[in-house]
Amino acid sequence: MFSNINAIAVRINRQFLRDRRFLGLSLIVPVLLMLLLKYVLDSLPGLARLGVHISDYAILVAAYLVHFLAYVLSTIVLVRDRKDGTLGRMFVYGYRRREIVLGYVGGYSTIAAVQTALVLILTKYLFDINLAPDLIAVVLTMLALAVVSVGLGVFISNFARNEGQVFPFIPLVIVPTALLSGIAIPIDELPRVLQWCSYLIPLRYAVSVLDGVLNQHRSFFSELGPFLTLVAVGAGLLATASLTLRERE
Amino acid sequence: MSASDPAGAAAGAPAVAIEQLRKSYGPITALDGASISVDTGEIFGLVGPNGAGKTTLIKAICGILKPDSGSVSVLGLDAARERHAVRRRLGYMPQTPALYEDLSPRENLVFFGRGFRTSGLSDRIRDVLEFVELWERRDDPLHNFSGGMKQRASLACALLRDPELLILDEPTAGVDPTLKQNFWRRFRELKERGRTIFVTTNMMDEALHCDRVAVIRAGSVLITETPEAIRARGRTRVTLGLRDGSLREQEVLAYEEEMPRLLAAYGLSDEVARISVRRPSLEDVVLGMIAGDAGAGEKPAHGGAHGGAHGGRTTGAHPGAGADAEDGGNV
Ligand SMILES: Nc1ncnc2c1ncn2[C@@H]1O[C@H](COP(=O)(O)OP(=O)(O)OP(=O)(O)O)[C@@H](O)[C@H]1O
Ligand SMILES: [Mg+2]
Repeated sequence: MFSNINAIAVRINRQFLRDRRFLGLSLIVPVLLMLLLKYVLDSLPGLARLGVHISDYAILVAAYLVHFLAYVLSTIVLVRDRKDGTLGRMFVYGYRRREIVLGYVGGYSTIAAVQTALVLILTKYLFDINLAPDLIAVVLTMLALAVVSVGLGVFISNFARNEGQVFPFIPLVIVPTALLSGIAIPIDELPRVLQWCSYLIPLRYAVSVLDGVLNQHRSFFSELGPFLTLVAVGAGLLATASLTLRERE
Repeated sequence: MSASDPAGAAAGAPAVAIEQLRKSYGPITALDGASISVDTGEIFGLVGPNGAGKTTLIKAICGILKPDSGSVSVLGLDAARERHAVRRRLGYMPQTPALYEDLSPRENLVFFGRGFRTSGLSDRIRDVLEFVELWERRDDPLHNFSGGMKQRASLACALLRDPELLILDEPTAGVDPTLKQNFWRRFRELKERGRTIFVTTNMMDEALHCDRVAVIRAGSVLITETPEAIRARGRTRVTLGLRDGSLREQEVLAYEEEMPRLLAAYGLSDEVARISVRRPSLEDVVLGMIAGDAGAGEKPAHGGAHGGAHGGRTTGAHPGAGADAEDGGNV
């Protein structure tokens, strides 16, 4: 089992390295978006007068970007695998459903980790955030978030027959996530119903940990609740993904 | 025929037994009660027009299709419940290449060979890539390859584990004639070594290489026979040219047996100046079956109608010559 998971992860990373344009875009896009964010926020001096610390948001937005990119990429790549028949071939050549799901997680976690590292370095220099004391908390949260994103992607890929059909599912996940995860609007300022809905948004738990640790200066230990919930959501999504991954058409 | 038992195959049990298989995609019926039995150690061809259900049937054998009803047993195992055990023992070549375009043939083979932990993988990879004549280009990414070359890489992948049952979906589509001949030679060799080969095609010259052929149309199997027996179902058109310039035409079903009787009836007198015999080709007969709803034999006009297309030349001289010339030289 482990060797097959590893074979898939290695293959995905190898494909990724081979596809220069894809590689370039997936590294440059988060960087560009962070720069854009910095520029926009800096040009709104009103925010500071309102007592808003721009830097508080930087890591949260970074988490959102990693979540979004990993989700979309893994959905599209899996749909492509199904369409090209390589997924069917994997099954016939001895790969099992759970191996495939975990292999994708392995492959994408590497990519997401690189993206995360890049974004973290950038936030540190652009927004002057000192991550060092909370680095472990930040990295663990980002990794758990990457697993969640890939699990979600694999699950969603069941509903699309080709890459084009993936597009309607992108806003379905990212718009509610943007509104209800606590990055744009603090959750306790939302109407009660939406507060309940926010429990369904995986990013909410990551935001809660990151905000607690970085902005409220609480210990990682005191944020263990949302962190473990995030991990549980990830595990649940992976289990769902491997149970729903269609092996027989 | 070297029918020496391949390891693990139960004596006498069919390698693939499909009964009354049905599958619909919404309003489209892909398989409509198809039944097939493939013997261990034979080359079995499935022929039929586009959309007949060949690929769907193959997916059912490999356990990547959920049939609506019917049963599929492969190597004595249930193709759905015991699919993991079945897959260990078969080699599958999908209709589309189904390999990773960003990776080289070698990387693809390494990846797909790992699933079942193929032993001696690098030697096997070299062997199959040399066979499909891609060893020189083993490290080129597949997106630089032509369609036929991708097809060859895909066949190499199916041969990788030297499986006892090979399931090949149009293996020679887009492959050039020389290489195609090599492929068939290799299939023969594999058969000699006791392997079973199930292959789909819509090229009749390839069906002639098969021990038995099943004709599928609109999701059901019309006939399963040796190519020669299928061909014998077609009517042979015999034309006698008389001295006075008139022609007598007749169509006979069992050509070898009917011919002497026919000649006796006319009397091989001076009246007869020439005899021409046109045996329908396998293609004529199969196309007749696919076009009509009964066997081609029921529709005498058909053999002639398709005559121009393929192998339909009229042979003069004595009757034996016509038969020999068009026999296709198989089995
Ligand atoms: N995934 C699918 N969704 C909907 N319809 C399908 C699907 N796969 C096959 N079909 C339909 O089932 C029928 C049989 O298709 P199949 O691919 O088995 O044909 P085939 O005999 O392999 O044809 P070809 O010679 O073109 O490869 C066709 O009518 C096709 O449209
Ligand atoms: Mg097909």
